[in-house]
Amino acid sequence: MIRNHKLELITLFAVLAFIVVFLYVSSGGHHEFSGSDDVGSQKISELTGHPLDSFKPLIPQYEPPSGEIEATLFALQAAFGGIILGLVFGYWLGQRKSSSAT
Amino acid sequence: MHIMEGFLPWQWCLLWWLVAIPFLVVGVIELRSIMRKDRDYLPLLGVCGAFIFILSALKLPSVTGSCSHPTGTGLSTICFGVFITSVIGAIVLLFQALLLAHGGLSTLGANMVSMAIGGPLAGYAVYRLLKNTPVNMYITVFIVCAVADLVTYVITSFELALAYPAQSGGVIASFSAFFIIFAITQIPLAIVEGCVLALVFKYIVALKPEILIKLNVFPEDKITRAHGQEGVGSR
Repeated sequence: MIRNHKLELITLFAVLAFIVVFLYVSSGGHHEFSGSDDVGSQKISELTGHPLDSFKPLIPQYEPPSGEIEATLFALQAAFGGIILGLVFGYWLGQRKSSSAT
Repeated sequence: MHIMEGFLPWQWCLLWWLVAIPFLVVGVIELRSIMRKDRDYLPLLGVCGAFIFILSALKLPSVTGSCSHPTGTGLSTICFGVFITSVIGAIVLLFQALLLAHGGLSTLGANMVSMAIGGPLAGYAVYRLLKNTPVNMYITVFIVCAVADLVTYVITSFELALAYPAQSGGVIASFSAFFIIFAITQIPLAIVEGCVLALVFKYIVALKPEILIKLNVFPEDKITRAHGQEGVGSR
């Protein structure tokens, strides 16, 4: 078993601090928590003086018809990564177990 | 950090594509040669790639009241270098451009230069600086990942500032405007990402130190010592 848990504790602390900051920020003021991509696009339209919808895609692209479908695709992306991750660490763990058994 | 489709004039799209392509070509060549040399590298490549997939799908809220996502490119940069990382990053960005309308095909070049190339390059510079010093390995991984994440957003700000200089103050004024939107939002995310990837690196050291030694990721004695400390017992 892994003996030293210092790094786990630090990571846990960092994640907790992150959550606390989020709760604090979201409790006060009116924050939309929209994507920084969109905020950036708004800034562009502000700087150029052109309205947002005057920016037309140079290359036509598919857009997920709703937020739900977008969430599904993002979940799929993360799930794909997660499966690979579990597979590889399981494979390594199994390798180590079988090599120390003989 | 995606620059949305249509939000970059075509001249800039072309320029960033031209910058990105050599990295992809070298990356594919490196990838082929490393796979031919030893299939043992494949699982590690999977882990590095998996983290770019997972972390860049997570859009997290931040102090500025907007959401952004980490990049996860630091781990791959440390293990495999900038070029291979640029290929994995490009695959993720292509997926998001084609299916999610996050970024687009014309701005893909610019997005690759920031997330898949620029961030990793900065991370790699830090990594080389710290690799052979007595600085703790996990701290090195933490710093490299946080830097790769943060610099990605600095470069996005820079790309947008070049294309859209402010009427008063020019490139510098609009750079600071984009910097506040992208990079300040990113600071807390970069810290959490650094911690998580340092933790993952610890598990790789515990389970598969020989691969890290073979890739010469860190000096052998550092890895062996850390492995001894973690000491994964099978019983």
